[in-house]
Order: sequence, then C-alpha cells, then structure tokens
Amino acid sequence: MSIKFTCEDKQTLIAYLYGEVDQETRQAVDAHLASCAACEKEVTALGDVRSELGLWVPPEVELDFKIVKKSELPSATVLRPARWWNAVPVWAQAAAAILVLAAGAAIANVRVQSGPEGFSVSTGWMRPAAVAAPIATPNDEWKPALVALEQQLRNEIRSTRDQGARLSAASASAPIDDVMIRRVRQMIAESEQRHERALAMRLIEFQRDVNVQRRADLVNISRGMINNYDQLQQQRQTINNLIRVSSTPQQ
Amino acid sequence: MVATDEELVAKSMDGDVDSFNQLVLRWERPIYALAYRVIGRDEDARDVAQETFLRAFRALPGFKGQAKFSSWLYRIALNLCRDWIRRKKRTPVVDMPEGVDIAELASEQGPVESIEDLVARQEMSRIVAQGMKLLPDEQRTAIVLKEYHGLTFQEIADLQGCPLSTVKTRLYQGLTVLRRHLESQGMTSYESGKES
Repeated sequence: MSIKFTCEDKQTLIAYLYGEVDQETRQAVDAHLASCAACEKEVTALGDVRSELGLWVPPEVELDFKIVKKSELPSATVLRPARWWNAVPVWAQAAAAILVLAAGAAIANVRVQSGPEGFSVSTGWMRPAAVAAPIATPNDEWKPALVALEQQLRNEIRSTRDQGARLSAASASAPIDDVMIRRVRQMIAESEQRHERALAMRLIEFQRDVNVQRRADLVNISRGMINNYDQLQQQRQTINNLIRVSSTPQQ
Repeated sequence: MVATDEELVAKSMDGDVDSFNQLVLRWERPIYALAYRVIGRDEDARDVAQETFLRAFRALPGFKGQAKFSSWLYRIALNLCRDWIRRKKRTPVVDMPEGVDIAELASEQGPVESIEDLVARQEMSRIVAQGMKLLPDEQRTAIVLKEYHGLTFQEIADLQGCPLSTVKTRLYQGLTVLRRHLESQGMTSYESGKES
C-alpha cells in the first residue's frame, strides 16, 4: 500500500524538510512536489529560512566554567578592607599601647608623688594639690576640730618625747598611755580616708581626660578608615569595569 | 582516547570533580548558545549556563542515565530559561553588539569575505534574531533545539513535554512566521541569491 501525500499534511512536510521520514514517505512527497508548484515553492522557501537561521551566531565569549571543591577555595573569598593592625607584630602593639598610656598621662599631666604623708596623685594643668588640702564637701564642721586635734596631738607627742627623754635620762620609763595610742590610730585612719578620697577624685578626673582623648582619637581613626574604604571601593569598581570591558565579546 | 559522556558521568558520580569539569568544558558552549538563543541576552545566558552546570553537579547523584547526559543538561537549561522568561515577564530581547570594527572583523575573516559581504551578513543576522524574537517561546525553543542542536523530533518532544505532532506543528508555524518576516525585510533567499 503506497503512501499518499497531500498539500495539507504539514507535519509530514516538516519531517521531509528535516529528513526524518522513511524512504517510502520521501518518495511520496517527492512525487507530490513534482506536480504541485505551491508545495514545491513552500519547501524551497522553508529551506531558505533554515539556511538563513545559520547566520545567527551567538557571540564568542570566554566561559571557562569550573566546579571547584570547597576545600580548594581560598580561606577568604570575600574581599574586605585589610585591617591594618593585623599586620603589626604583637610586641609593637604592646609598645604602642604603653606609648598611648604614657601620652595620655602626659596630656592629663598626671603626677604621682610620695612623701611622708603617703602617695598623692594629681592631674590636669593645675598646680598639684597639697596632700593635706581638705576636700571640699558640703559638711566641713569636723575639719577645724580635726586640725585642732592634730595640733593638740603634736603638742602632746612633743611633750611626751620631752618627758621620755627626761625619763630615759633618769633611767626610768613610763608606759604609753592607751588613750593616746587610740587617738593616734584614729587620726591615722582619718588621714588615710582623706587620702583615699582625694586619690579617687584624681583617678576619676584622669579617667575622664583619657576617655575624652580616646573618643577624639577614635573619631580621627574612623574618618581615616572611611576615606580608605571609599578609595578601595573606587578601585574595586574600576577593576570590575576593566574586567567587564575586557570580557565583552568582540565581534 | 577521549572519554565518553557516560564514562565521565560515572567517574563524576564517584566524586571525581575533574571528570565533571571535562563534561563542563565539553558542553558549556552548546548550553550557553542554547540559553543565548532562547533568552537573547548574553549576560543572562551566561548566568543560566553557569547555573545549569551547578544544578547538574548537585543533582548528579540522582541522574540514573535513562536519558543522555546532554539531554539531561538541555532539560535543566531549558527549565532555567523558562524560569528566567517567567520571572522577567517579557519577551526575549536580542542584544546585538555595537561599535564593532567592521574592518577588523573583515581581516579576521580572511581575504575570502569582503567588507560588504560581512556587513550584509551582520545585518541578516540581526534580522534573523529579530524574527526569532517574534516567535512564542515554545516555537522558538523547538526551532533552536532542532536547527542549532540537531535534536530529533522525539527528543524535542521529551524536553518540551508534548506530543511529537505538536513539535512538528511548532516547527512548521515558527518557520512560516520567520519566512514572512525575512521576506518583509527583503531577505527572500540569501543562499539562492548567492547561487544565482
């Protein structure tokens, strides 16, 4: 039984055009085209379209895709601005820290003094406070009494020394009065408290000065980092543009 | 001796990344060309091609070998192209390179093709690309798979998930639209014109 091809059978026509028909069908179509000018013209025109489709060529691009194992990737795959302090050795960082502390102390004009009255710390561009200078507090009624007491104590100590000298000269010793010892101890304790308060106030003042300086330094460092980061971004953008331009296919 | 796709796939499934990269090297250009002709944009076609191989690599353990590796790749790429077209919600746009130095191109082509022929060929390429842009996605994809990748009707039907007859109809309708477009642009028969 022979195959008969008709003009309406476009599916067979397209299969014929692409050569995906068996021998018998091909002969049937050939026979039809020999007698049908319209179909013959259509097949020729569609064949020309196929030829012209070959003109459309994708751009020649460099693809070079590659699957890379995670272990082969460099540890840092994301570009970040380098932290400058990572490149500084530890000993240099320690030295810098000491230098900053020393500079801060110099700026704050910290003075540490030791004397018969104990340690005293002063700061700022002011005259060093007298160690025994009273700390201004709202309630100062006890100060005159304390000064009088101290004066009395000194007098008594002086008189005691004199008496002691006389007694020792007479090869006789007298026991120290317990009341006197308690008073001396009390005065020493009060003096220590005063010094502690003064030291605390100086330290607070010193800390405040250092903080102010630290904030100013941080602001300057931050501004510098922002400027560096902007420059880095611009350089990165330029490199990306260059890469994009260089990878654009040339036709 | 060149390893076949099946051999490279088997090695890749055993964890040999180099074998898979050989497959990538072998198929990156056809996959990119497919994506470029379906999508029509160079940058997006690159992305689709790259994503195709990434997905293939991840899905490799599930590849049972029922189909050819190339058909499997084409399926992944076409799905990605379809997603791209759906996401963009627009017809593919063919970007033609601009600012091309014709004289330089002519020198690359050798002494056989004159500058006039080269200019004419470029213009015809642009008209063909425009005509492809006019086609519905299914017709354009069928023509691309048939004309540029040489798939059989049955392979196209499998990839497009449609009957064989539908593929033939899409091809006939697509070629007919292209024929009218080319005739309207004065490109009745480039090859015939050359011969005559």
